[in-house]
Amino acid sequence: MKNIIEIKNLTKKFGNFTAVNNISLSIKEGEIFGFLGPNGAGKTTTINMLTTLIRPTSGTAVIDNNDTFTQGSRIRSIIGVVPQSFSLFPELTAQENLSYIGRLYGLTAAQINERSEYLLNTVSLSEHKDRIAGNYSGGMKQRLSLAASLMSNPRILFMDEPTTGLDPQSRISMRELTKLLNKQGMTIVYTTHDMDEAEKICDTITIMDNGRIAASGTSEELKRMIADHHTIEVELEVITKEIIAELKKLPYVISAEHTGELIELKVKGREGVFYKLSDFFHRKNEKVVEIKFREPTLEDVFIHLTKKDLRD
Amino acid sequence: MPRIITKKSPEASHNQVSHNRINNIYEQEKLIDFKKVLAIMQKNLTVMSRDKIRWVFLLLFPILMIGIFGYVSGNMPKHISTAVVAYDNSELSLAIEQQIYNNPTFAIRHIVSTEGEARNLLDSGEVRVIIEIPPHLEEDINNGVQTGITVIVDESDSSVSGTAQQALSAIVTQVAKQISLQKISYYQQSVAAAAQKLQMYSGQQINQYGLIASSLAPAQAYLLQSKKLTDEFADNLLSSLAPTTISIPTIFQNNSEINTNYVLISYPPGYDAIQAQIALLQQSSGMVSSAAANVQTARSLALQAGQQVSSLQDYNSYEQNVAKPMDEIHIFTYTSANNLLTPLVYQAKPAYGTGKRAIDFLIPSIIALTIFQGAVMGMGRAVAGEKREGSLTRVFLTPTSNVTIIIGTLLFYIIFELLRSSFLVLVSVLLFHIKIEGSLLAIGFILIVYAAVATALGMVLSSVAKTEQQFMAMSMPVTMPSMFLSGAFFPVQAMPKFMQVLANFLPITYAGDALRGVMIKGFSLSMVAYPLAILFVFLAVILGIVLMVFKRDIE
Repeated sequence: MKNIIEIKNLTKKFGNFTAVNNISLSIKEGEIFGFLGPNGAGKTTTINMLTTLIRPTSGTAVIDNNDTFTQGSRIRSIIGVVPQSFSLFPELTAQENLSYIGRLYGLTAAQINERSEYLLNTVSLSEHKDRIAGNYSGGMKQRLSLAASLMSNPRILFMDEPTTGLDPQSRISMRELTKLLNKQGMTIVYTTHDMDEAEKICDTITIMDNGRIAASGTSEELKRMIADHHTIEVELEVITKEIIAELKKLPYVISAEHTGELIELKVKGREGVFYKLSDFFHRKNEKVVEIKFREPTLEDVFIHLTKKDLRD
Repeated sequence: MPRIITKKSPEASHNQVSHNRINNIYEQEKLIDFKKVLAIMQKNLTVMSRDKIRWVFLLLFPILMIGIFGYVSGNMPKHISTAVVAYDNSELSLAIEQQIYNNPTFAIRHIVSTEGEARNLLDSGEVRVIIEIPPHLEEDINNGVQTGITVIVDESDSSVSGTAQQALSAIVTQVAKQISLQKISYYQQSVAAAAQKLQMYSGQQINQYGLIASSLAPAQAYLLQSKKLTDEFADNLLSSLAPTTISIPTIFQNNSEINTNYVLISYPPGYDAIQAQIALLQQSSGMVSSAAANVQTARSLALQAGQQVSSLQDYNSYEQNVAKPMDEIHIFTYTSANNLLTPLVYQAKPAYGTGKRAIDFLIPSIIALTIFQGAVMGMGRAVAGEKREGSLTRVFLTPTSNVTIIIGTLLFYIIFELLRSSFLVLVSVLLFHIKIEGSLLAIGFILIVYAAVATALGMVLSSVAKTEQQFMAMSMPVTMPSMFLSGAFFPVQAMPKFMQVLANFLPITYAGDALRGVMIKGFSLSMVAYPLAILFVFLAVILGIVLMVFKRDIE
């Protein structure tokens, strides 16, 4: 697969604040590309530059050999965007919103009718198409927003946190729709701060933090980055501050934290750790309920890379 | 919940076939795409039609404003307690008193004979206005002495004093005009008589005194020319008279007494139409003077001829055919020359057409103000609001050029404001009985140009603002000066100089001028070319700024 998007040394500054700091990456045609990162990491700013909405301070972004800065109008005819917020006309009905967007894409009345009927059906809004969009629920709005973005049947679809603020059911349906579109050949750039979601639908993931790319790769590749860091969960009958302090002093322990009913340990290597730990607790006279390994998650990767929790 | 159509029903799979074809055809974005312009306008219409409350206020607000003005001017102080100081009891004075009595502004409570008595009444609050008719008013006018009627008002109540002065001024103007007409009419008669006599005699026996005839011929030409000019002046004066004439006594008798008092005619400054009339009159008077000089030459020649007469029979013939007609011609021409510029105390006010009220002149300003505010404020939603809402961002994501978006947005609001102001014009006509003097097409044209200026200005602000709140804060300093300097609330002439200068930089000043000209004064578009040209300059500059500040960049 060829690269459909090429970003080179892209930087965006807002005054003194650098939102996107010299990033370079490429996105292949036909993949679901995940942009992962906490709020303020620079994901949306990057998307806005790619979708020609803001101008880069320096660097280039090229979509299908068109520069976003100089050939914006060409790019706009092949992309679709599901923005972070609703971004449609709350006074218009779903049907009117879709017709308007369709007309701005230069579609004929027949094309608009056919396309909007299909899309409203796909996003299950056919029965509500003549209702004022402003009165829709959050999930319905987001589905309508997706339908609007698909009016031109774009080659590349940018989705900026499409599931944020939705109920679990709506999230699942949004993800399934995304996968379906991808299956039809659409390249999808998917922004989220939900690790689980990224892991489930994205082919490749790029983690952004503080305007920089922290890591890139498939979910498996990313997890391998922390392969030498193992997490062990220990459940004791009584957990004291003293015992945690003692644990931290052990040479093979990287960190020890009290989370809920458990102690979470990060250790170097796997060999003999169980034995060493049970020996340690036995000597300290602590009653152990359970000791077990935990498989690494993207969240672990993220915390390792950014030293902060995702939803902060 | 969304049903994901993956396969199954034949219908769905059919849809799949036609819809999973990804669009990878580049569309060439046009600079101005009229189909998209139309789409934007239609979208705006639908959005606006859904906002019923906004409609109500957009239409109600100006009607309310016109209503308030209509109410205010319809309730000008009436029946103001008045004392008349009658120093003169001539027929003319009585006619003027009758006129004051008939006027609803005044209620004559007392007629006294000295100003002191009237002052006491004013001090006690018994009356609020004193009107003083000076001693020998009629005699002075007859003798060409400048005279005038005085109104003494309590300045503390501006509406009473203003109304009283206005009403009295109207009465005096009317009287003065009618006196002028009498005078002109007498003058016309004497010029006509002089010309007739010249005509009668010149062709006959005078011929034997060829020298005299050659002197009289140019005099006749001068007199005829003068008569023509005077007739024109009289016609103009007559047409400017109010339809209700005041009956005044005939003051100027057709006597041949030569009046030597000259009084300059006084007019308010800037009254160009009257200035032209004065020029006409002065030209006419010059003609008569030339005629009189010619007659003078002819008369002295006639005297010389008389001295050469030897027999009694010849003398009788000379007496009959030369001396007597010469004297008559002499008297008529001189009377004409001298009577022309005798006293006319004019307190005339500029007036276009007849019977115009204050509200007639206010309505164009109110309409201009309404369009301005409506158009500027309306743009708050159009750009800044849609920017905040994100819907404009969605439009930016489509292959639609900036110019297309600008044109579509402006065009809709221009048409909307045009319809709104047409509605206001209709309301003005139906509810406030405004008589539209000029052409409706011309009014529409001015309204379109002005609405374009205002919407473009609103678009500049809306493009610069990041939120609607910012827009509101920014539009205040733009709309407020126009509100106060439009002349709708306060007369601009009464403001300090720098405010008047500031008014020159506001589009509303020119829109008000052009609208007033066409709506109320009945001007054609070419007569308001100057304010219109300035409006076009505003439009060009502001549109240029719109293109600069309306950016796709959503930063």
